Amino acid sequence: MLTEQSAYTNRWRKVSPVAKGFFSLCGTIAAFAAGSPRTALLIALILAAATIRGAGIPPLRYLRVAAPALLFLAASCLSLVFSLDFGGTTGGAALYPAVAEFPRIAQVCCRSLACLTALLFLSLTTPLPDIITLLRHCKLPDTLLDLMVLCYRTLFVLSEAVHETITAQSARLGYASFRLSLRSLGSLLANLTVQVWQRSQALHLAALARNNDGALRFLESSHANASKSISIAAGAGAVMIALAVALP
Amino acid sequence: MHIMEGFLPVQHAIGWSVASSPFVAYGLHSINKRFREQPEQRMLLGVAAAFTFVLSALKLPSVTGSCSHPTGTGLGAILFGPTAMAPIGAVVLMFQAILLAHGGLTTLGANIFSMAIVGPFAAAAIYRLARTARLPFGFSIFLAASLADLLTYITTSAQLALAFPDPSGGFAASFAKFAGVFAFTQIPLAISEGLLTVVVMNSLVRFNARELQQMKVTTAQELKA
Repeated sequence: MLTEQSAYTNRWRKVSPVAKGFFSLCGTIAAFAAGSPRTALLIALILAAATIRGAGIPPLRYLRVAAPALLFLAASCLSLVFSLDFGGTTGGAALYPAVAEFPRIAQVCCRSLACLTALLFLSLTTPLPDIITLLRHCKLPDTLLDLMVLCYRTLFVLSEAVHETITAQSARLGYASFRLSLRSLGSLLANLTVQVWQRSQALHLAALARNNDGALRFLESSHANASKSISIAAGAGAVMIALAVALP
Repeated sequence: MHIMEGFLPVQHAIGWSVASSPFVAYGLHSINKRFREQPEQRMLLGVAAAFTFVLSALKLPSVTGSCSHPTGTGLGAILFGPTAMAPIGAVVLMFQAILLAHGGLTTLGANIFSMAIVGPFAAAAIYRLARTARLPFGFSIFLAASLADLLTYITTSAQLALAFPDPSGGFAASFAKFAGVFAFTQIPLAISEGLLTVVVMNSLVRFNARELQQMKVTTAQELKA
């Protein structure tokens, strides 16, 4: 997964997740506080620059991660551009471009873009286990955090199993037609469902063998100069919000 | 059908988060109860969350020739129960936002409401109704999975219409527009997901009947029949 690769190899990998989470949150607040599409675009540019220049994420990789979301954003915005009129001159329903709404649509799209860059800043600079630690500090329920930890630790195992099964099925022309694809995918998922059952039983036995008594506990990684990083992130975040509020 | 990060106005983002939180909280309460009675369920639900995430990354062939990804809403609700799907769905949607930039954190509440609450509860209710009406097992599964998919997309369309009412026609026109635009992809997708879920459940009944009985999806009598 490109996001995970970047999260583990970027320049800010060792920076406190609290600082990165705080900066990302400030970015989101600034995006919502931006009074015009131009200001929201400026916020998006600042966040993208912080991710690419600051954390050292290669621009091409950034674009590859952002591309599906950008396409989705374009489709979402396009759906806002048109308005439906039931009482048209022909009597039926008619789609027409809502020209008067264009400034509002531009605002929504630019805000969404800025929020996306804030999300990408967090996901490309912070590994998911660090985000789970951050959520633990935010006092999220233990059960939810346990689900997250188990989900994260097994999703790569299951992804590998899926990849290997698809390769084997494809080698036997399992995806040659719609009917075969449906059948192959169905047997793959049935097999995976059983694996879910079996792997969870094995994990339970392994936990019991280690005297597990309920909640899952893990050592947290320590981050040097955490308070300094948090102060810098808070300062930069405050400047970003101030810019969003001050600019027209 | 996810709503993009930052797309909803702040009042709607907060409102949908508030609407979703009691369901997630009740789901967590029911999961905790399950954990106390059956401690091995802790691992099962964690792995089930990973399964749902992996499921959403698979390409599903659509009857129109295009392809999309299954939501797993119906299958998850039938296998693990609708109440458990709210917290599991919350985890999966959060992972999709962070790892795939699909959906978002500000729209997490709205996406949880449509995909992890409306979809699974609809699937479980339709499946139960169909079984009570003595409809065949495969048809009941198809109805549950495909209608849950459709209801998920209708909920998302309603959420978007509430946030962006049409300047002339208001909520109704906006809902018709969003539902109409997304119907081109979502109706074939719902049919494909329904068919896929039937194939999965048929395979499970054939090869893993004991596991299905343990998950309380089928009874011994149904399996004999």
